Amino acid sequence: MSWAEARRISDVAFTEVCLQAIYAFRQGNAPVGGTPARAAQTARRRVVQSKMLVAAVLGLFAAGGAGILLDAPTIAARAFFGVAVTVPVLQAGVLTGLLSLDVAFLWWTGLQVLPTFLASGVLATLEPLPIDDRTLGRVAGILYLRLFDLPALVVLVATPLFVGLVLGPLAGLATIPAVVCAVAFALGLALVTGRAFVRRVQGSRGGGGRTFVRWAYLVLWVLPAFAMFGFAVAAPGFLALLGRTIAAGPSVGRDVLLAAYPFTFAALPPITVTGPGGLALDSGGLAILAAAAAAYLVVAVGSVGWMMRSVRRLGIAPPSAVRDAPASRSGLVPHGAARAVLTKDLRIASRTPGYAFLVLFPVLDAIAIGLFTFVTGPGSNGALALGLAAVTTAALLATFFGPAFFAIEVNAYAYARTLPITDRSVVLGKVALVAGMYGVGAGLVLGITDLRVFEPGIFVAFIAAEAPAVVAAAMFELGWLFRRARSRGLAIVNLYAGAWTAIAISIPGLVLAGAPLVAFHLLAAAPIATALLVMGLIALAELAVAAPFALGLHGGRST
Amino acid sequence: MASDPRPDPSTPLVVDDLSVVYGERQAVHHLSLTVRPGEVYGLLGSNGAGKSSTIKSIVGLVPPSTGRISVFGWDAQREALQVKVRIGYVPETSMLYEALTPREFLEFVASVRALPRTVASERAESYAAAFRLGSELDEPIASLSMGTRQKVLIIAAILHQPPLLVLDEPLHSLDPRAVRIMKELLGRYVAGTGRGVLFSTHTMEVAQQLCHRVGILDHGLLRSEGSLAELRERAARGDATLEEVFLRLTREDEGLDDAVRAFEGT
Repeated sequence: MSWAEARRISDVAFTEVCLQAIYAFRQGNAPVGGTPARAAQTARRRVVQSKMLVAAVLGLFAAGGAGILLDAPTIAARAFFGVAVTVPVLQAGVLTGLLSLDVAFLWWTGLQVLPTFLASGVLATLEPLPIDDRTLGRVAGILYLRLFDLPALVVLVATPLFVGLVLGPLAGLATIPAVVCAVAFALGLALVTGRAFVRRVQGSRGGGGRTFVRWAYLVLWVLPAFAMFGFAVAAPGFLALLGRTIAAGPSVGRDVLLAAYPFTFAALPPITVTGPGGLALDSGGLAILAAAAAAYLVVAVGSVGWMMRSVRRLGIAPPSAVRDAPASRSGLVPHGAARAVLTKDLRIASRTPGYAFLVLFPVLDAIAIGLFTFVTGPGSNGALALGLAAVTTAALLATFFGPAFFAIEVNAYAYARTLPITDRSVVLGKVALVAGMYGVGAGLVLGITDLRVFEPGIFVAFIAAEAPAVVAAAMFELGWLFRRARSRGLAIVNLYAGAWTAIAISIPGLVLAGAPLVAFHLLAAAPIATALLVMGLIALAELAVAAPFALGLHGGRST
Repeated sequence: MASDPRPDPSTPLVVDDLSVVYGERQAVHHLSLTVRPGEVYGLLGSNGAGKSSTIKSIVGLVPPSTGRISVFGWDAQREALQVKVRIGYVPETSMLYEALTPREFLEFVASVRALPRTVASERAESYAAAFRLGSELDEPIASLSMGTRQKVLIIAAILHQPPLLVLDEPLHSLDPRAVRIMKELLGRYVAGTGRGVLFSTHTMEVAQQLCHRVGILDHGLLRSEGSLAELRERAARGDATLEEVFLRLTREDEGLDDAVRAFEGT
């Protein structure tokens, strides 16, 4: 069969991927109202909306990078850590950052959507049909590429376009191999790490130290999302390193830099503007650059070929568990219902990257800002402000992501509703998770910054004063979601579905979590004890209103 | 207006005038049935007859449009929590938390059902051993076969030894050994106790062997109900099997030869 036939089959199959991503029928969700055709249309539309959202972020990266390139002469006028940086070096540095961001963001997107793609079971459905092997492989490859089509297209088109507009058409053309490699590498990385995820995380047995290993994998999983933050923090140091290395002329360090992805490609557009002299390159340097670029292009082409061959195998293989491992001797350890909900959610999150991301992001974000605080200098006001900002973001992120944990109930919802568990227990379990995320994030900031801030009393009081507001916000959001689920069915919330539901419900939650923080900042001129007292009183008042709303729901009737 | 008297608290299940409507389609029409103490009641019917809708109403998944369901005297709508405490349910499809292992899933169920640690552990271990579940207990449910998932659901349903078991096609995808265990178990589970079992099946042979009484559902209507002997009498087929009685009472035997001929030559 031809590529045209593979495209036709993949079009039908992609509708199934969208349906499963949005409605999760395979996880026991009840059929939706309306005709199947309408449900399919809605599912496809919502998937396109989500892809447009991701594409818009990548478009902003490209526009932002172009903006910095435009302002390069001004920026390059100031030294970085005492190192003078020329305009071409700065341009190469900016493009290195932009390409790194593109790879990281596309890779991260792939990691988020890959489990949904695999859970759709679409490849396993196609396998027994009378379709030849080559076409099946092509269908699988096309389906995988379609997960990324809009975001990848934006990287492939917008980046050369913006660079071309700023640095000239030749520079724009020179960016094309760079973005082709970026897309190919990101998709390849997503598949490699996705495969490792399916084997090591989704298929991981329960008990023992395996939970720790799963969470360690998941931390790695989340890290690409921090690429932007990491780059922003590291950019001045990176530019200084670039300036020093390039200025030093031919050396092992410079040759390694020229051969390192993505600098190899990032160096090409400035060279089209100023010639090799702009980057102080001799013929040897140029030869290294050309050889490395050619090698990366070969690897990129090979990577695409490998992807097209591998997706099918990944799609039909069940999560690989160790079949011959001995049974664990541990018995069941029942807890109270609310704690059981919390434990269940954490266990599910430990094998589901989408949920793991929600748990880890506020914590890792707090660590990242906390580390930044650590390097700003001991006892400075800036360090205290940054530390409090880290706690603030932990509170707001935990509140923002809270509603998504409700979506765990979508899994096996039909079965769970037959169990004698109250709404109150479910809400309490999930609120405990949100509060735990805030507590761990804030606690880590406290631990990291304690050595620098020297005001642990203020810090602890700030964390404690905000805590009731975080709990109140989580209770309000989850209580609202339960009421909504009773009247309209469960909302599914993930990157590819129901993102707007989660965002809409998060807005009042963020207002609740944010009100005490706003009050604290408005009272900046007052004694800090007064500001903290007002903050705590507001938070407690919110909790007093939200708790009856959430916990009195239906008089604690069963789910 | 005085409320209806509370049904007999010793009767495992009373379904009275139950109707279930999905949009414009009525799946169950004014159904009434009773599962008596010590009884295994089989709900028989073709595909789409309303068996699963009836069962889903009993376990609280689908709200009845009319009628009343009581479990040991507790009203299924007004006292849902009390009803759920007394029911063990095996659904038609294995809707489980795919990311949990069976051990983690059973621990969640034991927690929600407030079982003591030793009781939960001993029962889970004993039932798992009976079904020959070993290392599968620690593998994610997503990686298990349909039959193994069904075994996990059965263990979860009987973990708290409920007085009423509601089983929707419970033998579906089980291996022969597990089917044999279930056949033996259901009879013994209710014998000499006040417990009851309601289960739906397409397999007439199983119903004939296990059920004290059966109800035959057809297009949402209870066509007939009683023991095999009573049904034979009603169908005027003295020595007929339950399958023949079922086909006669539901008039599904009409045009059977034509249906078979339609497949000939394929």
